[in-house]
Amino acid sequence: MNLERLPNEEKLSLCRKYYLGGFAFLPFLWLVNVVWFFREAFVKPAYTEQLQIKTYVKRSALGLLLWVAVLTTWITIFQHFRAEWGEVGDYLSFTIPLGIP
Amino acid sequence: MLFVPVTLCMVVVVATIKSVSFYTQNDGQRLIYTPFPEDTDTVAQRALNSILNATIMITVIIVMTLVLVLLYKYRCYKVIQGWLFLSSLLLLFFFSYIYLKEVFKTYNVAMDYFTLAVIIWNFGVVGMMCIHWKGPLRLQQAYLIMISALMALVFIKYLPEWTAWLILAVISVYDLLAVLCPKGPLRILVETAQERNEPIFPALIYSSTMVWLVNMADTDRPKRNSTEAASPQQETQQAVASPAPSSPSQDDGGFTPSWVSQQEHQLGPLQTTEETRREIQQLPSARPPVEDDDEERGVKLGLGDFIFYSMLVGKASAAASGDWNTTLACFVAILIGLCLTLLLLAIFKKALPALPISIFFGLVFYFATDNLVRPFMDKLALHQFYI
Repeated sequence: MNLERLPNEEKLSLCRKYYLGGFAFLPFLWLVNVVWFFREAFVKPAYTEQLQIKTYVKRSALGLLLWVAVLTTWITIFQHFRAEWGEVGDYLSFTIPLGIP
Repeated sequence: MLFVPVTLCMVVVVATIKSVSFYTQNDGQRLIYTPFPEDTDTVAQRALNSILNATIMITVIIVMTLVLVLLYKYRCYKVIQGWLFLSSLLLLFFFSYIYLKEVFKTYNVAMDYFTLAVIIWNFGVVGMMCIHWKGPLRLQQAYLIMISALMALVFIKYLPEWTAWLILAVISVYDLLAVLCPKGPLRILVETAQERNEPIFPALIYSSTMVWLVNMADTDRPKRNSTEAASPQQETQQAVASPAPSSPSQDDGGFTPSWVSQQEHQLGPLQTTEETRREIQQLPSARPPVEDDDEERGVKLGLGDFIFYSMLVGKASAAASGDWNTTLACFVAILIGLCLTLLLLAIFKKALPALPISIFFGLVFYFATDNLVRPFMDKLALHQFYI
């Protein structure tokens, strides 16, 4: 999908759909949104829809940062305390490493 | 330009085979398409079993190809699209789940269900969006490469040795016949699509450029007045030649019998678009010249080709006693074959099967290297004789 060839309204619509889609627990979608539309929003010379695209990209970036923070915290906690939690830790684990914890 | 994706796919497959032992373990499980075991007492029995397995597999593939062509001919597009959608769903979620599980086990990493759910969910949904709807080109290509690698890994795991090599050989022959013979199902498919001025296939086609999708979006707009009719017409015709890479038909690895062969036959011979594109561009010059010639010269390769190339190299690295020598030899052989195929494509300007030449070279190199070169190198190393 080449963004160059799309008219501006469609770019806006696509950006918006990616932004809204990200609310379904899809931080990856927000990442794609940011990376893909970054140029459109900040580098290109201004056009009518650019302001809205900028807002969407900024909000996607914000949401992404939030998700990264939450995930990092949770992963750190889990990896650190997994062995100590005993049964609960095992229950939460998808794969359990073998050997000395 | 097709070398990079093919190489990437093969690298992913070989890297996984080398590191994750799951894909080389023989659990005794087999696909239902290959019911005859290969760990038999006599060599003759084994040969017979593998021939039977290969025959069953090829028959299934042929039947599925015919079903597909019939569905396409009688315009049952919904059925085809639904099928592809479901199979890509399976591949993106289920197989990647298994893959991740095995990778985590191999590296002895703890993973909790929550993070795993987030990862798989994101990977799957964004994959579905990129492949079936709209997404950045690079990401779409990356996803297609990843699912090809996943499929190839499934094949490597579940197909016994001799069966796999036989299947590779037979499917290249079938590919040759299906695409080049006048009555071949794939040729019929291509020609029907051309007649109807439609994109060839909502199937697994890897394309190196994505101009087509945009052009096809243009054709959805309502018809304008006659002066503008010329350009949408031109765009439609250009759009015909490039099937949008849509959902790769997935194969469920034989756990449920339905779609394996469909995927295979779909994937195998699809290198048609270059041809149709060229043909259309050679239509009467009344049409205005194309705007971005560079972009439209993207080459397309069916995902089945990716899968079988990777499967060959993967099997070579898994099974060969010569290890890296053999793997590299097969890798080079396949790339050379791909080169030749592209050359032939440029010469003949028509749909060509991508499998035969590469697979043939690959097989020759594999067996030659394994049986001739490796003992030779071993002996040389043993005697410390450098040439």
